Amino acid sequence: MNASERFFRRYIFSTVGIVVLFLTVNVALVASYFVIAYFGNVATSNFPIEDFSNHVIVANGQFTGDAQATEMLNKADAWAMILDEDGTVVWEENLPEELPRHYNATDIAMFSRWYLDDYPVNIWKRQDGLLVIGLSPGNVVNYYLSFRAQYVWPLLFGLVAVFFINILLMVYLFIRNAHRVEKAMGPILDGIRHLSAGKPVHLEETGELAEINAGLNKAGDYLMKKDNTRAEWIRGISHDIRTPLSMILGYASEIEDTVSLPETTRKQAGIIRRHSEKLKNLVADLNLTTKLEYSMQPIQKQRFDPVELARQVVSEVLNDELSELYELEFSEDSPGKNISIVGDQILLSRMLNNLIRNCVVHNPNGCRIQISIGSNATICTFTVTDNGHGVSESQLNALNSDEDISSTQKQTEEAEHGLGLKIVRQIVKTHQGVVRFAETIPHGLTVKILLPME
Amino acid sequence: MNDRMILVVDDEAELLEMVKSIFERAGFTQVLTAASGEAALKMCKEKQPDMVILDVMMPRMDGFATLRELRKTSKVPVLMLTARGEAEDKFAGFENGADDYLLKPFLPKELLFRVQAILKRVYPEKERKVFFDVANVDLEKAMVQRNGESISLTAKEFQLFEKLYENAGRIVTTGSLCQAICGDFWQGYESTLATHIRHLREKIEENPSKPVALVTIKGIGYRLNIKGAQT
Repeated sequence: MNASERFFRRYIFSTVGIVVLFLTVNVALVASYFVIAYFGNVATSNFPIEDFSNHVIVANGQFTGDAQATEMLNKADAWAMILDEDGTVVWEENLPEELPRHYNATDIAMFSRWYLDDYPVNIWKRQDGLLVIGLSPGNVVNYYLSFRAQYVWPLLFGLVAVFFINILLMVYLFIRNAHRVEKAMGPILDGIRHLSAGKPVHLEETGELAEINAGLNKAGDYLMKKDNTRAEWIRGISHDIRTPLSMILGYASEIEDTVSLPETTRKQAGIIRRHSEKLKNLVADLNLTTKLEYSMQPIQKQRFDPVELARQVVSEVLNDELSELYELEFSEDSPGKNISIVGDQILLSRMLNNLIRNCVVHNPNGCRIQISIGSNATICTFTVTDNGHGVSESQLNALNSDEDISSTQKQTEEAEHGLGLKIVRQIVKTHQGVVRFAETIPHGLTVKILLPME
Repeated sequence: MNDRMILVVDDEAELLEMVKSIFERAGFTQVLTAASGEAALKMCKEKQPDMVILDVMMPRMDGFATLRELRKTSKVPVLMLTARGEAEDKFAGFENGADDYLLKPFLPKELLFRVQAILKRVYPEKERKVFFDVANVDLEKAMVQRNGESISLTAKEFQLFEKLYENAGRIVTTGSLCQAICGDFWQGYESTLATHIRHLREKIEENPSKPVALVTIKGIGYRLNIKGAQT
């Protein structure tokens, strides 16, 4: 049995123990109450004295017990007698010889509750006398219980109080037990939460659940190692690909720009150059998304003007010779209003650039792209709207439900590698912001980024 | 401009060859190459180049170490080239005294644009004239020649014009222009900028209300379209 099994078995046993203890104590409590309450009846319940009395009849002043009466006495190994008002035995059956045949008031008072010469007795008042049944000694214990009336209520109250104290004690024991489990499980649950968030885990490997803690530490180390290896691999690959890609890009551009070369050759070089640029972007995106995912990207937060940032991005795109098929516009919701937010300028530029690039990539036949910036007291909103063909309702729902971006992308040659929007989401998340996707009326896609001002 | 001596440093012989060819095709007549940090330092000492293109990852002495060594004796402008996309590298480059930083892979025109921008800034030409349809601007004298008469540019107009000229043909944002004339705390100076732009247009445009040389890019900034330049 391992430590965790032992821990949980102990927890179950102690819970069962508490329940058993509670039941025992309370059953005993209830039982004792009934014993006390019905003690007086116990004596009668030992011998059916009333029934017996009915089998002793008087005829012409003569008492006669029938056969059943004799049988009842024999069965109980008992004797019987009837005393008249003077205390004289007027009828008897099996009455031992040594017992007197006359009793005075004191004698009757003495044996009526307890014993008559060691014989436990039960008595029954008849119209014509007092029926006395004597049971064999040692078979029944007669005990006369009496309370002062003033103690009856405190006693009942005491019983109820003990009952509630019992319940409280049980609740306390349950809570204590649960608390112990919670105390032991808390760090483990925290550890699992950390693991699911991709953060490193280190739990103290002590206490009853040390084994589980050690297991979680090991799992955490393994995941971190795996993540690091993957990140290192991507970083290494992206590094190794950069220099050869520089050569391809460089020479393809040179060939493309050499006017003395045949038109076809230049055109082909242009294709190589364009695809190399796509690879270049892919390497950059892959690197950035990996670093953001594994929190390896240093975030340089500073206060800046988001309007100027958007202007810079838009001007870069325009300066980069954007095809004439696209119309790029920029506007401020409140022109002239000074806004400043705190964030990483490089990352947020990248975010806007990706959103604009996304409009271009998904609308190869051209579209109008509008970028606008607005703000209120706490939120700064970047809106990128295009009037292209937009996305289907299911894609829109998927985008808004944080589903994996790549699964919502159309599998066409035009669709980019799917990292563009993922990076946007990651950057927004880094800035504690929100991304919302909506349909542009009559057609197209609107992306709204809401960022806290601080 | 193209007679400036450029030293390209990279341990990859083929890349070195390619960068050299990019500069030569762009008209640079003096392009030197070095395959290591040590060789680069030696060459800098002997040939005194006007600009150094320095690769970061080199065996033995890397780009940062080379730059630190170089900065002990020289202020030559340096553009760092790197295959590592790390932001820390970028900051380390600037901290060590680099003038610019370019990530591999790069387009030849991107490299040329950056190098030319640095050269323009560090080695301003003695005779610089910019031509427009109805006027030309002498950057050395900060004067506009128009219909035979000379009109002077105010200090702010000159700073503004220089910024636009450095980026001729490209959009320059309102913020960058405000920063050029007002410094880092430029917010709220947009209307002042608009005034200077209007004055500048009055000096270089035939019809300032229908500008063709200094055009507005709505909501973003301005672009200077020049007819030609003489340096």
